[in-house]
Amino acid sequence: MSAHAKTISLTVNGTRVEASVPPRQHLGDFLRERELLTGTHLGCEHGVCGACTILIDGEPARSCITYAVACDGRSVTTVEGLDDDPLAAELREAFSAEHGLQCGFCTPGMLVAARDVVLRRPDADNPAIRTAMSGNLCRCTGYVGIVNAIRRVIDARNTNAG
Amino acid sequence: MGEVSTAGSGAGSGVGARVRRKEDDRLLRGRGRFVGDIALVGMKELAFVRSPVAHATITGIEIPEEHRGAVFTWADLAAGGVKPIRAVSGLPGFKVSEQPALADGKVRFVGEPVAVCVAATRAEAEDIAASVFVDYAELPVNSDMLEAVKPGAPKVHDHWPDNVFLETNVGGNIAEIAATAPVKVSRTIRTARQCMVPLEGKGVVAHWDRHVEQLVLTTSTQMPHIVRAGLSECLDLDQGLIRVVAPDVGGGFGWKGLLQPEEIVAAWIAMRLDRPVRWTEDRREHLVAAANAREHHYEITAYADARGRLLGIEADAWVDAGAYSVYPFSACLEAAQVGSILPGPYDFAHYRCRTFSVCTNKPPIVPYRGVARTGVCFAMEQMIDAVADAVGREPWQVRLENLVPPEKMPFDNVTKKHFDSGDYPESVRRAVAAIELDGWRARQKSGEADGRLIGVGFATYCEQSAHGTAVYHGWGIPMVPGHEQAQARITPDGGLELRVGVQSHGQSMETTFAQVAHEVLGIPLEKIKLVHGDTGLTPYSTGTWGSRSMVMAGGAVATACRTLAERLRRIGAHLMQAGPDGVVLDGGSVKAGAAAVTIREIAHTWYRAPQLLPADVDRGGLEVTAGYKPGSDHGTFSYATHAVALAVDPEIGQVEILDYVVVEDAGTMVNPMVVDGQIYGGVAQGVGTALYERMPYDAEGQPLASTFADYLIPGFTEVPHVRIIHMLTPSPYTEFGVKGIGEGGAIAPPAAICNAINDALKPLGVIVTNAPMTPEAILGAIAETRGAA
Repeated sequence: MSAHAKTISLTVNGTRVEASVPPRQHLGDFLRERELLTGTHLGCEHGVCGACTILIDGEPARSCITYAVACDGRSVTTVEGLDDDPLAAELREAFSAEHGLQCGFCTPGMLVAARDVVLRRPDADNPAIRTAMSGNLCRCTGYVGIVNAIRRVIDARNTNAG
Repeated sequence: MGEVSTAGSGAGSGVGARVRRKEDDRLLRGRGRFVGDIALVGMKELAFVRSPVAHATITGIEIPEEHRGAVFTWADLAAGGVKPIRAVSGLPGFKVSEQPALADGKVRFVGEPVAVCVAATRAEAEDIAASVFVDYAELPVNSDMLEAVKPGAPKVHDHWPDNVFLETNVGGNIAEIAATAPVKVSRTIRTARQCMVPLEGKGVVAHWDRHVEQLVLTTSTQMPHIVRAGLSECLDLDQGLIRVVAPDVGGGFGWKGLLQPEEIVAAWIAMRLDRPVRWTEDRREHLVAAANAREHHYEITAYADARGRLLGIEADAWVDAGAYSVYPFSACLEAAQVGSILPGPYDFAHYRCRTFSVCTNKPPIVPYRGVARTGVCFAMEQMIDAVADAVGREPWQVRLENLVPPEKMPFDNVTKKHFDSGDYPESVRRAVAAIELDGWRARQKSGEADGRLIGVGFATYCEQSAHGTAVYHGWGIPMVPGHEQAQARITPDGGLELRVGVQSHGQSMETTFAQVAHEVLGIPLEKIKLVHGDTGLTPYSTGTWGSRSMVMAGGAVATACRTLAERLRRIGAHLMQAGPDGVVLDGGSVKAGAAAVTIREIAHTWYRAPQLLPADVDRGGLEVTAGYKPGSDHGTFSYATHAVALAVDPEIGQVEILDYVVVEDAGTMVNPMVVDGQIYGGVAQGVGTALYERMPYDAEGQPLASTFADYLIPGFTEVPHVRIIHMLTPSPYTEFGVKGIGEGGAIAPPAAICNAINDALKPLGVIVTNAPMTPEAILGAIAETRGAA
């Protein structure tokens, strides 16, 4: 294993990290096992459920189908790195108010994806929110609370902007 | 019987209030602690060698020389004294299966664990697993339950005479009705085998705690105390030497309500190696080895009069129970439940049902949200619509004709189920109004410009929850629920700790039990801490299953808090130098006229200034363990009518849900937001059962889906924005009048959607009766009808 390890250098939640990683290790495992950032959850490791969604250079990506070695020189943000992000704070508030989470396992990925939807689609109606979020699966909430939470944030932002 | 009150005004933060969840903040910041998040010093990872074939004799297991010592088989476990899982039912005729935690010379389903590999990382453990060579001599396979019961079918358990765990017969007084009923309709109805798919798979961390001298098993479970009991039996270890802890659990739905072979293996390896070990179920393992729910087949006939009044129901039902009997629910619970609950919410007199729990070469069946009710409702509600069609009435009218009316409550039905309260017909009337049936009927007449066909469907059910002692004692399985206990402790600074043996994995108990305690004691929610899911810290409980936690553990919390309230009141009265009469606990303070002393001050007195206590103070202090059972052993009956309007494209078989309404009655709601959340989530799973979810098997028993790309669970765009209408009929038997509600949402959607699809396809003369109703299934039914015409 270690004979094949590659050294990478990347930024994780604003901190410079140098690490020697096995080429086959995916970013999700790297973040969880090595950086102890266990907020990134692995729901399928097939790139379908979206629980492991994180930001790479500000864009949402599936950490389970991204190799850690492919992230050399990149900037990675996990849910832990969004603690002080104003939009993430609005979303956390809205998810709680609208009961957008139950067991909480899909939630970190939902927040990262929802943040991207709010930024990219300030005009989104509910069907558009559903389509934009369709890369993330939840087994508890039936999605109603999540859609309502994103709706709430978009509406509040539009009201404030107006 | 517990004291019945009618709290629930919704004001403040007690019973009835829509308060935000205490759980949310940590989960929203990625700071929950799930099994996969736990790392112990020196921890090793486990990977399983699993059977690639459904039925075979193992003729050899070759472990490469360099991996000896890192691979273990049943021979190692058996030599170490480990016993197979035995989940026996006391029902007469039940055939016993023994499930070794690793295969013992024979494999009986694809995915069955054969050997376990230990390494520093999961990836390395999987490498070792790939190097282990197992020689299988393949045997004929039972991949379909109806074939498995035929004479000459290959036997899953060699020493059995056939492949039936258990046959049950309920009722029987049907022959005369069958001969004379004016209306007789029959259907063959089937539901598919499903995976439950909590987003977090199962997982376990095991280690031997040298200081406490205990095996500590941290596991993703709904029932830690039951896992401890099962581990004790299989490992031959005193229960006092085992502590089972459930941390944050990422959904369960039933899949985490059992003793798992992997838990036994992890526990044994941790003790054998004296090292912490972890196993995390990956998604492929879940889909392949845990396709374990819902597979029913019905041959059912309804007898009715010319108005559609039911005269009798007659059915044979088969449930594919898989290869082994699971601990604690056994292989027969689901089919036996079919026999007892098939009559649903209806009032009719004549009934006969025969059920078979069939043993096949598939993963062992585990009760999934709603358990048998989803299948039963799917069958029974199709029959109501079939009767309505036969007598030329609207299906909702035939429901009104047959539902137990409110004036008959409480009501004992044909299988002696004791319905506690409610107005079942009113739920139908409200659903008809809310879905705006007349509008859809008009639209059906005028037709759609795009050629799609509109359909409206209804389904009504009632759901027994918080099951009592007698019915489980009757089944004679390893777990019988009795009294539920809760511990309540005032902390020295006037806060409250609650300890319950149930486990919260999305049900929001950290919030809702705090609301119950607040209702009694007035302590603010932020000062109330729930400890749950840990055998070392909580009273015994059978755990979270059967929509029981709020009724049972919530009732125990209320009972314990009432005892605390009385002790607080007496100490408070003494501190105010008042007699106990006329002194009340109100808003977190004990009050005597204008004088008041806070719970915080009373707590300080008990813990820090005991010299001020009255001489006759209750020596139990400010800590109480109280037990609770509802006033009826029959549990509670929540109920609902689901109504759906949808469009079917007869060219491509696609179904689009256009509107979905749930009219439900959960009795008093402790937190309406949480109740709504349970219903939304249940409906989403029901939509999956209705339209998408199916684990297909080929004739060799190979599961044909192994990723989320081919096992489809509903996403954002498949699940409707459900509308919920509440009715609030308190149960007369429970604290505050609450009823269990956790499973209900998942029960009715397949039935309502099927009835709506058949309503849409009526002009074509097409009827679908099997779930899931995929585009292929709908197109197949249309083609079959056209071919027959």
